[in-house]
Amino acid sequence: MTGYLIRRFLQTIVVTILVTVGTFSLLHAIPGGEIRAILGVRATPAMIASTAKQWGFDQPLYVQYSKWLWQLLHGNFGYDISVHAPVTTLMVPAAVRTIVLAVTGTLLGLVVGIPLGIYQAVHRYTAVDNVATGISFIGYGAPTFFVGLLLINWFSVEVHLFPLYNNANPLLSQPTALVLPVITYGFVAFALWSRFMRSSVMDNIIQDYVRTARSKGASERRVIWGHVFRNSLIPVVTLLGLSLPAILSGAVAIEVVFNYPGMGLLFVQSALSTDIQMMLAITVLTTLLTIVGNLLADVAYAVLDPRVRYT
Amino acid sequence: MAIPHTEMSGAVVTEAAPTAPGGGQISAKPRSLLRRGWEVFAESKLALAGSGFVIFIVLFCWVGPHIYVTQQVSTPIENAYCTPGGAHLLGCDNLGYDTLGRLMVAGQNSLTVGLLAAAVACTFGAIYGAASGFIGGLVDSLMMRIVDAVLSIPYTLVIIVLVVIVHPSTLTMIGFIALIYWPQPARLVRGETLSLRTREYVQAVKVAGGGRSRAMFRHIMPNAIGVIIVQATFAVADSILILSLLGFLGFGLPPPTTDWGSMLSQGLNFINLGYWWLIYPAGLLIIMTCVSFNFIGDALRDAVESRLHRR
Amino acid sequence: MAPLLELTDLRTEIKLREGVVHAVDGVSLSVDPGETLAIVGESGCGKTMTALSIMRLLPPGGQIAGGSIKLNGQEISTLSEDELRNIRGNEIGMIFQDPLTSLNPTMTIGNQIAEAVLLHRDVSKEQAMERAVEVLDLVGIPRVRERIKEYPHQFSGGMRQRVMIAMALACEPKLLIADEPTTALDVTIQKQILELIDDLRRRLGMAVILVTHDLGVVAGQADRVAVMYAGKIAEVTDTTTLFSHPRHPYTEALFQALPDKAADAGDRLYSIPGIPPDLVNPPVGCRFAARCRYATDKCREEEPQLIGEVAGHEFRCFYPVGPSERSEKGRIAAYDTSLGEAPPAGPGIGDVLVDLDRLVKDYPVTRGAVLQRRVGWLSAVSDVSFKIRSGETFGLVGESGCGKTTIGKLVVGLEKLTGGVIRFDGKDLAKSSAREYRKERRKIQLMFQDSYASLDPRMRAGALLREPLVIQHIGSRQEQHERVAEMLDKVGLPRTAAERYPHEFSGGQRQRLGFARALMLNPQLIVADEPVSALDVSIQAQVLNMMKELQRQFGLTYMFISHDLGVIRYLSDRIGVMYLGKLVEIGPAEEVYLRPAHPYTRGLLDSAPVADPAQERAKVTEGVRGELPSAIHPPSGCRFRTRCPLAQEICAEVEPPMTPFAGEGHFAACHFPLQAAVGSPVTVASEQAALS
Repeated sequence: MTGYLIRRFLQTIVVTILVTVGTFSLLHAIPGGEIRAILGVRATPAMIASTAKQWGFDQPLYVQYSKWLWQLLHGNFGYDISVHAPVTTLMVPAAVRTIVLAVTGTLLGLVVGIPLGIYQAVHRYTAVDNVATGISFIGYGAPTFFVGLLLINWFSVEVHLFPLYNNANPLLSQPTALVLPVITYGFVAFALWSRFMRSSVMDNIIQDYVRTARSKGASERRVIWGHVFRNSLIPVVTLLGLSLPAILSGAVAIEVVFNYPGMGLLFVQSALSTDIQMMLAITVLTTLLTIVGNLLADVAYAVLDPRVRYT
Repeated sequence: MAIPHTEMSGAVVTEAAPTAPGGGQISAKPRSLLRRGWEVFAESKLALAGSGFVIFIVLFCWVGPHIYVTQQVSTPIENAYCTPGGAHLLGCDNLGYDTLGRLMVAGQNSLTVGLLAAAVACTFGAIYGAASGFIGGLVDSLMMRIVDAVLSIPYTLVIIVLVVIVHPSTLTMIGFIALIYWPQPARLVRGETLSLRTREYVQAVKVAGGGRSRAMFRHIMPNAIGVIIVQATFAVADSILILSLLGFLGFGLPPPTTDWGSMLSQGLNFINLGYWWLIYPAGLLIIMTCVSFNFIGDALRDAVESRLHRR
Repeated sequence: MAPLLELTDLRTEIKLREGVVHAVDGVSLSVDPGETLAIVGESGCGKTMTALSIMRLLPPGGQIAGGSIKLNGQEISTLSEDELRNIRGNEIGMIFQDPLTSLNPTMTIGNQIAEAVLLHRDVSKEQAMERAVEVLDLVGIPRVRERIKEYPHQFSGGMRQRVMIAMALACEPKLLIADEPTTALDVTIQKQILELIDDLRRRLGMAVILVTHDLGVVAGQADRVAVMYAGKIAEVTDTTTLFSHPRHPYTEALFQALPDKAADAGDRLYSIPGIPPDLVNPPVGCRFAARCRYATDKCREEEPQLIGEVAGHEFRCFYPVGPSERSEKGRIAAYDTSLGEAPPAGPGIGDVLVDLDRLVKDYPVTRGAVLQRRVGWLSAVSDVSFKIRSGETFGLVGESGCGKTTIGKLVVGLEKLTGGVIRFDGKDLAKSSAREYRKERRKIQLMFQDSYASLDPRMRAGALLREPLVIQHIGSRQEQHERVAEMLDKVGLPRTAAERYPHEFSGGQRQRLGFARALMLNPQLIVADEPVSALDVSIQAQVLNMMKELQRQFGLTYMFISHDLGVIRYLSDRIGVMYLGKLVEIGPAEEVYLRPAHPYTRGLLDSAPVADPAQERAKVTEGVRGELPSAIHPPSGCRFRTRCPLAQEICAEVEPPMTPFAGEGHFAACHFPLQAAVGSPVTVASEQAALS
């Protein structure tokens, strides 16, 4: 198993390098770039040139890249010119808020979706199964922001049940503001996990070892929870790791809809104001989070599946 | 040289069709794989409903405007916000455009982008994945690391960056979406290629003196097509969703080209005023189209798997 | 003595998309305490369904449609699920065919066995584990306390089956149902497992229902046998009687289709024409009538009942084989089993065609996180040499991991040699130019084992057969089509088959297609890798007959690879026996079979079940004990020494050379062979055998 994990880790490093190079080049391809954004439309070429020199933007790309990477390895994500503060001051709290949202939402999706998926598989083709399937498909097909806005409309505006997030107050003081975003998040997550768990359980329930368990006299309940459950969970863990980018992506839409100051909203704002440093920093951070998450998923997979552990 | 059938089976059997000399009977009518796949597909009522809806929506978007003729270029501004009924079945939007008519035009864009983006992504991804799996070795490793890298970056971020760099047109939008989607079919097809490579019927080509390209193009690719088509169906749904998200965030197709997402985004500004006709129809169409494609994809997946696992 | 289990007119159906399959259609059986009842038949006959019906472990869509199942007089077919659970694993235990998929891969074996105990006995977890240790020891798992914490994939196939047996016996059931328990195992392991089951039966006073397709297994293990065909019982009696005086034409035909029986006479095998009937719409009248050589109109219209003339022997036939009142009336003339006159002789055996000279094939074993360094080699083939003459059939036999399949692949060119030379018709193929190699390739063709995997499911049969011609640019399109049609005729398939897809054919028909494809390029040598292993006996006979006939017609040379000694002996002129990458014995088929010189060959022959109860009971040795060692670190010196009853110190130090024995071309590599080598003094083996 250690060999397996070491190999994955090294692959991760390669991937990270590719990602940073790619993003860096991409972002620096934006015409005009930050300087123009900061200095405004009426900046003369001379002004641009001097600012560029001042901030080191005139050097060749690979030099900029290595400097930036070096800074990155020291935890310095760069300096945001437009707000005159290190990028991290804005980014870290936003990142925390996004993680809170993503984790809570995903957990909600898993906690509801997994048991439901199992139930659906055991009672397949019954009314409950069909209804749940229908709802899942809507979860697949409905744009997240649409769902979010509907929820706002129904629960915040018309009914005043859950307030919207107020930027002025810290997160923990207004937990109820989290409810709607998390539910929106959870709705899409639940659709995915319940479908997946359902098919995973259905795959496992026809396996030979289930028949053996029954031949020993195990009850259906014991068969499902003692045998099928663990084996069905294994692919879920893998999928969890693979869907991290999607999870973080989904956060963007929700944050914009609910005006929730997470990394997604921050990114959109940076894009609109062409704040390259911020965009770059957020991209790298989210990618790193994804990669770390993937690695954790691999570890969990190895723990759950002894076939990986002992080969 | 004629062979008396005695020697084949040990009993005298007259050769009368369809009884084979000594070989036993073959099933009654020739049923190609396509037909068998279709039978499984047609069993799913959801898939049939989905296909029906897709056909309907295509007609709606392209044939519709010829039946229900509206002004989509310039309209009298006094028509703005007119309520549904009379000459305007679904009312008008803030600029006086007829909503129903606009839905059709927007639908053309949404569907075109969705279908083409899926097609481009899956074609490129399939070739990439097949090449990677076929070549194998270090090249395969590297190609897959690139795939991992692209997949690690949350797609929303990438596409926002792309849109900021190059202001999109319909064509470029297709390119962008394809650019973020292609790794998925690539990984899938590579997996298929690897598993098919070891099949005995591929080895049989070598035994007969055939080369690797023959094995690849005549045997591996045709058998991987089923998987690609399934993936492509889901890709259409995903592309439509991505496009609508972009429209919502304000990074979508520039006006006057519109798509359902942009319509939705504009309409949501008026949620408080109760102008439901600017919101729900567009949202509903997105949901139903995506759900339909998901139904079709699910049933196709069953059809492809049943074909391969039968007997 | 009241029977332990009694099935009366049991009927089981399975609802499929195409209709309802009447898998078990009126089966009546009884099992006495302590006896072994074998249910034997070919695939689709309903034997497995019958076994599964007893404990109601039917697949989705399956249900018992009627009849009664009584355990100790109590009706169990109508019990509720809860009540039935008291019986499963408690009064009746069951083991299945594939021990790998039948064990939960993510649960330790200790826990799985303890579970069986905890479900039925009110004991603590520790006590359940103790019982698990006890029962694993009983089935012969070494170092139980260590291994109890391991997972199924860490055990070998034979060990896993022992674990399954342990699990089934944990609560000391009265009846053990074994569904093809050894089909997935090597022959030598098979014997160990069957003996284990028999031993446990006697010790625990259990009854055993043994479901199998292998008549040899039946001969060696069963007290009574029920032969099933198309969902019904065709014949039931005690083992000795069944083998000596079968009454049902199907049973008779089965015996005549066995290579074991035919080999003695050198005859062609009797192959039952056609295939079993469709059980969705079963035929009116006798189910075997369509394929029976004695069938009359009465057979096709009326269904015979299962009745007997002598107590304990019942059969379902109007015109049974052998003397009987029934059979005198209206019986058609006895079928002459000599199958027509002998065919004209083929070209005969000629010069050396294939020369394998000191072949070596090693596979790299890699380990390492990133760089995948080679930590060792898997020795698949180690210094193997033999020759095959043109026109002969060379049988290469051995168990899994012996390297026979690898040799087949090396000869055919699917793998590259690590060492040694293969000479075909005098030429070293590895040294020829690419173009020449391509041409020479035509002369060596391969017939695959798994017919389904070897035919591209998307191509029609005709296209599949044409492909070799297309690849080699032989003939115009028209000529190619003609040749395809011609070849279909030769292998006994209708010309319309060219339009069909592989999935539309039965297993035996697909093998014919595979063979036809191998013939397309007019090869001189055909390597057949386990071509009939996956087929039922009656279909197997058809394919073997076809292969023999076409060999004669085309003057082909065969390299026949198989683990089935009966088939090998029947077809081969010469036999080579392999073990763990080494050739241990080689010689004329009869010589090797009747007078083996190598202890492994002897063990293999003893382990292979033979369809003759007298022979089976006469077997003295215990086959081959122990497990197959690793091919990455094979034993030094003689590779077989770890399992050989005659092994001495020298066996670990010096690798035995091939020494000649009486009988032309008979060689074996052993320091203590079972007979005197040519030119050696007094046999050492017999003394050794007396001592051990």
